[in-house]
Amino acid sequence: MAVEMAMEPDYMRDPRKHHFSPYMENGGTSIAIAGDDFVMIASDTRLTRGFNILSRNQEKVLRLTPHTMMASSGCWADVLTLSKVLQDRITMYSHEHNESMPTTAVAQMLSTMLYWRRFFPYYVANILAGLDEQGKGVVATGASVAQIQPLLDNQVAALNMKGATPPKMTKDLARQLIHDAFISAAERDINTGDGIIIHTITKEGKTEEMVKLRRD
Amino acid sequence: MQSRMVELETRNQDPQGDHGPQERNYILSLHDVLMKKSILNYNGGCVVAMKGKNCVAIACDLRFGVQAQTISTDFKRVFELGPHLYIGLPGLATDTQTVLQRLQFRIKMYEMREGRRLKPHTLMAMMQNLLYERRFGPYFVEPVIAGLDPNTKEPYICALDLIGCACEPADFVVSGTCSESLYGMCETTWQEDMEPEDLFECISQSLVNAFDRDALSGWGAVVHIIEQDKVTTRTLKCRQD
Amino acid sequence: MMAGVSLTGVFTPNLWSGGPAPGQLYNFPATKTQNESRTHTMYPSTSGTSVVGLVYDGGVMVAADSLGSYGSLARFRNVKRLFRVTDKAVLACSGDIADYQFIREVIEQKVRDDEIHGYTPELNACALHCWLTRVLYNRRSRFDPLWLESVVAGYKGDTPFLGFVDKIGTAFEAKEVATGFGVHLAIPMIREAREKGNLTREAARKLLVDCLKVLYYRDCRAHFKYQLADITPEGVTIHDDLDLKQETSWEVASFVRGYD
Repeated sequence: MAVEMAMEPDYMRDPRKHHFSPYMENGGTSIAIAGDDFVMIASDTRLTRGFNILSRNQEKVLRLTPHTMMASSGCWADVLTLSKVLQDRITMYSHEHNESMPTTAVAQMLSTMLYWRRFFPYYVANILAGLDEQGKGVVATGASVAQIQPLLDNQVAALNMKGATPPKMTKDLARQLIHDAFISAAERDINTGDGIIIHTITKEGKTEEMVKLRRD
Repeated sequence: MQSRMVELETRNQDPQGDHGPQERNYILSLHDVLMKKSILNYNGGCVVAMKGKNCVAIACDLRFGVQAQTISTDFKRVFELGPHLYIGLPGLATDTQTVLQRLQFRIKMYEMREGRRLKPHTLMAMMQNLLYERRFGPYFVEPVIAGLDPNTKEPYICALDLIGCACEPADFVVSGTCSESLYGMCETTWQEDMEPEDLFECISQSLVNAFDRDALSGWGAVVHIIEQDKVTTRTLKCRQD
Repeated sequence: MMAGVSLTGVFTPNLWSGGPAPGQLYNFPATKTQNESRTHTMYPSTSGTSVVGLVYDGGVMVAADSLGSYGSLARFRNVKRLFRVTDKAVLACSGDIADYQFIREVIEQKVRDDEIHGYTPELNACALHCWLTRVLYNRRSRFDPLWLESVVAGYKGDTPFLGFVDKIGTAFEAKEVATGFGVHLAIPMIREAREKGNLTREAARKLLVDCLKVLYYRDCRAHFKYQLADITPEGVTIHDDLDLKQETSWEVASFVRGYD
């Protein structure tokens, strides 16, 4: 996500003056790929502040319901707040309706919640991945979206490939693509690295896998 | 390997051929240029170059725009400067052309004075000189050089920033408005020692898929594959939106 | 147009409350015009520098020096900015000292309330960390931040806890945490030490003192007097009025040339 912070870069500012900005870019990259009977959602585990690495093992995928997950990156303080409010409202929904909230409903609610803060926005890029709403779509978000998105266009949607049809998305292929994309992103983006956690949601349940990335 | 790129035109060319100056007419408002934050992104466009096995490739998009408005879709920003020697000049279009003309002048002076062909590495040094002369009022171009050394036939690629800081990596170089996307594509698709056909496929797919995610570049592409005995120039069919 | 009739009389400036006057733009919330009416403290006044904390085998340790700087002036040399919240939690802050003292009083009252109301589980470090996140995020959203970078250390059940929260609500847990210059100078030292092997209490204490020493040498806003808290499952021990002066030497300073 190419983002402009509300404040100018530190070398442009008066060295003696402190400056308050309610936002901070904490990096983070996420990818989701949907197949016919599964969804894979992955994020890197690096949390940054400027050139500092705050944490090497900060997961950015939230478990919302038994069949819905969300990956968020951007301003970490906003991610924490958004996820807390979201979790609360999902819990309230499940108490009221005596069933867990469907993915489409979570998506709609997320949209409303983000728009509610239209004039003081949550500085968060989200991917919602879940089971009952399955398309062939694939989304990447976060710091390295520019590096990853065209690759997925090419490899998943088979764009610009004469005579080629999009490949049948299997778990193995999705996992491999996610891994390759993150390796490339970590190669060129300082905000991405350390590790990836890949979650797979199927009817049978959820699994997760940790893969190492370069740590420099 | 069967190519998956759709070609509009393929032209095999004698590398010793004529290198006449390019002509192009357009009007730019200086006021508009000065008002913009990054003049480098004013007209849009991108260039990528890659090394292969005894060959190099250089490719560019064809869009010439003024911010979001597309003016023409046949604006080449990769130019032939000699046999096996190409330069891409993405950035502000007026500077693309000025830098090209000044460069051609200097190359002619060099070749007359020295009585020999320009090496890609020498072109890089020449380019550094030309750009750093304007250190505090730079030309807004970030050149990419690709070629084969006239003596050793070694592949050579290099990228410079707008004031002439050069970078000569072993794999690929990117430049222009979708450089981040190009990095992502090239980083995953590039392999060592690619044959010319594979190199063409790799550079084309990298470029086209990268600029399809960029509003400021695209609208067609030109790819040059530079080999010892021939240079193949292909024009690609791309989405026009 | 009829003489004597002015249009301003026909259209009153405010057609409805908060709405646009004719020919003017709507005044959106959180834009400059509205914020100018209230000016908050957008910069710290008397401030404390780095806090360093780490998890070792069998506990958590946090340390902070006791200097309250007023710009470049070393104004207060004995301000405590580390305190025991409960037997399960310690809070240490860098940033604005006044904001720290304010939040300390709020927390102390909160702990008393919990005790009076007979809440059996004591406020543990994880809960305090979470609570701080909300308070600081809330204040930043009101554009009235508490200018703090805080380190929460302690226990959550039987597991050691070490967390960080800053003035906008950025929060995370880690095995080693630092604020201010400590992020650049102390964290690499702790990460390196941890890679070499396990950290005993003695090793952890020595490491932390080494970090403070480096900070004292290189951070102009650091001081030789410091506090250190050691939290184990048994409870909190705070060592006050510790001193680095005997362990540091500025003899080499006279050999440094070329900077004057």
